[in-house]
Amino acid sequence: MRPIIKVDNLCKQYRINSLDQSHLRYDTLRETMATAVRQSLTRFTGNGHSASETLWALKNISFEVKPGEVMGIIGPNGAGKSTLLKILSRIVEPSSGYIELYGQAGSLLEIGTGFHPDLTGRENIYLNGAVLGMSRREINSKFDEIVAFAGIERFLETAIKRYSSGMYVRLAFAVAAHLNPEILIIDEVLAVGDSDFQKKCFDKMGEVIRSGRTILLVTHSMDMVLKLCEHAILIKGGEIQKMGPAEDVVNYYYSISDPTAPL
Amino acid sequence: MSRMGYESLPDTGAVAGPISKTDDEPANSGDRFYRLPATPVTTISASKSGLTLDLHSLWTYRELLYFLIWRDIKVRYKQTLLGATWAIIQPLIMMIIFTVFFSKLARLPTEGIPSALFYYAGFSLWSFFSNAISNGANSLIGNANLITKIYFPRLIIPSAAVLAGLIDFAIASILFVPLLFYYHISITWRFLLIVPLSILITTLALGMGILFSALNARYRDVRYALPFLLQVWMFISPVIYPSSLVPQEWRWLFILNPLTGIIESYRASLFGLAVNWWGLGLSVVFTLLVLLFSAYSFRRMERSFAEVI
Repeated sequence: MRPIIKVDNLCKQYRINSLDQSHLRYDTLRETMATAVRQSLTRFTGNGHSASETLWALKNISFEVKPGEVMGIIGPNGAGKSTLLKILSRIVEPSSGYIELYGQAGSLLEIGTGFHPDLTGRENIYLNGAVLGMSRREINSKFDEIVAFAGIERFLETAIKRYSSGMYVRLAFAVAAHLNPEILIIDEVLAVGDSDFQKKCFDKMGEVIRSGRTILLVTHSMDMVLKLCEHAILIKGGEIQKMGPAEDVVNYYYSISDPTAPL
Repeated sequence: MSRMGYESLPDTGAVAGPISKTDDEPANSGDRFYRLPATPVTTISASKSGLTLDLHSLWTYRELLYFLIWRDIKVRYKQTLLGATWAIIQPLIMMIIFTVFFSKLARLPTEGIPSALFYYAGFSLWSFFSNAISNGANSLIGNANLITKIYFPRLIIPSAAVLAGLIDFAIASILFVPLLFYYHISITWRFLLIVPLSILITTLALGMGILFSALNARYRDVRYALPFLLQVWMFISPVIYPSSLVPQEWRWLFILNPLTGIIESYRASLFGLAVNWWGLGLSVVFTLLVLLFSAYSFRRMERSFAEVI
């Protein structure tokens, strides 16, 4: 079967501590002008290269995902998992390499993106849905389901800044859970709210998975990888350390991690 | 396929269930799996230097534009007592201040137009313009959470901020009905010109808003410099004085400001005066140049927004 996601030699390079830092951090015009002057001076006086230090957030990442597969991505903090998801979601550009997606992709890097505190629950469902890529017709047809899932029927016309934090995340998850692209890119947004709602979220995820959608899931919960994913990728230091059946990858990850550190 | 950073094929609509044709899919995969199209729906790679405006993807995301405009309008007067009346109150108060101090005390000429009308026309137009630019300029920063979490054509954000101001402008313009009636101004065919003129000033505001929003994402100086710039722009435009007050030898410079032609023509069309077509034509040309320049600059800078904002 042909893959639905094809990632080929993907690299992402960041420059740190360099004179050219201005491109990474927001700063003032004055600093940029000063930098520009300094840089042109080094070009004349020095060897042409500034003392720029580069950081490879991702290095030669290649993998494929088959349609309907649930792929877990694991690794320690700072391994490059989020960078990978951001590139897959087209939020940041890769430095080199390419990705081919053979389907519409939707990403959930955070729940409640685009929620506005002054708007009501009803208004936010539409806004959040639109931001996540749903059409108005699609939201209309799923509206009741979303409201029922979040359990906020009584507070539909209340501004969400008056919501409890539990209600807020429930609503946010409910909208996200009803997203319907062929490829779903998820970054640890599962398991919100109290234990009852967590179970509901987990069941919903199972439902989404059984519907045959392709899912990329970044998580720190090995439990979740073992329960939900067939395959997994371990990323460390921007490189793929291991790739294969979820169990093998998780066991390998355990074996190389500090056994005393909590996972 | 990958000449640019990102390219998408036409939106397949609400993407539930199997669509498009199969290739080498196993026959027994059934409807459970989505069937792969022959070519990628999306290709992601480092962008090359060649840039297009990519109007197609803007069109694909038009519904998001609509929702963001709707949000900006909804949110604007939340938790205020007077609500949208503020859209009238602001230019109205400016009109009163200027009528009393500039017209009555300083005796500034208003070209035979009743001074209240002269100033209200100037200020309703100007406050739309300046608010649109400053809202546009701050829009990317204000929506940083969207930019770092979700993909969509970034041009939508400043565009929504600028276009949302149109509703205030429309509300403020309602006051012309009683004003024109009270001052017995007869309406001529030129009145129809206010529609294309409103589109023109919106286009100019769009161009400036887009440009400043991109600059602001990288250089926060814009936020501090912009109020001064707008203040200066107001004084070099015929908002509070007629262009006839400008000495002849400086008139050519004055008319290079695209706002001059727009404001003068706007007053002329409201109050049935002669329109300076030559000046208006110049404004149209400059406005389109500004929009084109801004849109291209924006596209150049947008690829790094998620990293610099």
